Amino acid sequence: MFAAPNRLRMNAVRIILALLTLTIFLPTSSILLGEDLEDQVRDISHKLRCPTCQAMSVKESEAGLSLNMKNKVREMLEAGSSEEEILEFFVERYGEWILREPPKKGFNLVLWLAPLILILVIGFIVIRTLLRKTRTQKTPPVTPLTAEEQTKIEKDLNRFQSD
Amino acid sequence: MNRKTYFALGILLGCGILVTMIYGLFFASIPNEIPSAQIGKKAHAFSITTFSGQPVTLEGLKGKPVILNFWASWCVACRQEAHILERAHQRYTPQGAVFIGIAINDTREASLAFIRRFGKTYLLAPDDKTGSISLDYGVTAVPETFLIDKQGFIVKKVLGAVDRPTIEDFLNAQL
Repeated sequence: MFAAPNRLRMNAVRIILALLTLTIFLPTSSILLGEDLEDQVRDISHKLRCPTCQAMSVKESEAGLSLNMKNKVREMLEAGSSEEEILEFFVERYGEWILREPPKKGFNLVLWLAPLILILVIGFIVIRTLLRKTRTQKTPPVTPLTAEEQTKIEKDLNRFQSD
Repeated sequence: MNRKTYFALGILLGCGILVTMIYGLFFASIPNEIPSAQIGKKAHAFSITTFSGQPVTLEGLKGKPVILNFWASWCVACRQEAHILERAHQRYTPQGAVFIGIAINDTREASLAFIRRFGKTYLLAPDDKTGSISLDYGVTAVPETFLIDKQGFIVKKVLGAVDRPTIEDFLNAQL
């Protein structure tokens, strides 16, 4: 009498388990849609220099070539390309010049680290010089008294004591 | 470290910065020229259909020097070079050179009107909707001309109106 509902329940559990397994093992799609896609297009376009009007990013520019670049970025994102792949695509064709920020690798690291190193070195020199000055001010050099000075001091002291 | 060492380090640092500045200003690049990442590289393959309906592929032009020009009807410098390119085409195409003009960011009607106005007769075609060919060649503005040798490598890029000696020197060496 209870066999039929039990079997139904078991089947329902099996279906739910099968669906859960499917969602776990299905590849997660990286393809963006709608507003997410546009956000990503804007984000990547902001990292690219407008080839025609170089003070601006591709995102800000309305020049024909910038519009083409934005469309290309959108097209590549829709095809499933990653941000890295898209930037690499443009670097290969335009050179690193097309990136608004030099990549933090290779010789470019000098560009990123040099100001920091310079500040540290200058800071170290300034602090060291200041410390040395303060130390020398605190402990002025002690020069021994001459015999004449010594006699005069003793004389004065004796006079105070006698008073 | 004593004072002398600090002084020497300071001088060294100052010299380093000065040398870097001089190199950056005068030797690293030409300030009025955008560097091209395409020079010395194999030219990107492309296929076009000319305004007159003729299909053309770069692959099919192997063994011939190619003058690849990117232009637009609204570009003033393109008018300046229009006759230079046409005359060079009349002279060098019979000798084996190929002249291709790709219109970018332009309407078909405006491009055709420009072609008629300047009597252009070489291979002229529009770029695709996203300007793929111009992006593949790293085009930064119009006009831009790429000189592709017989082996299919990009030898030179001319930014702005191309002049006669540049075309002649290249093609005389290639043909």
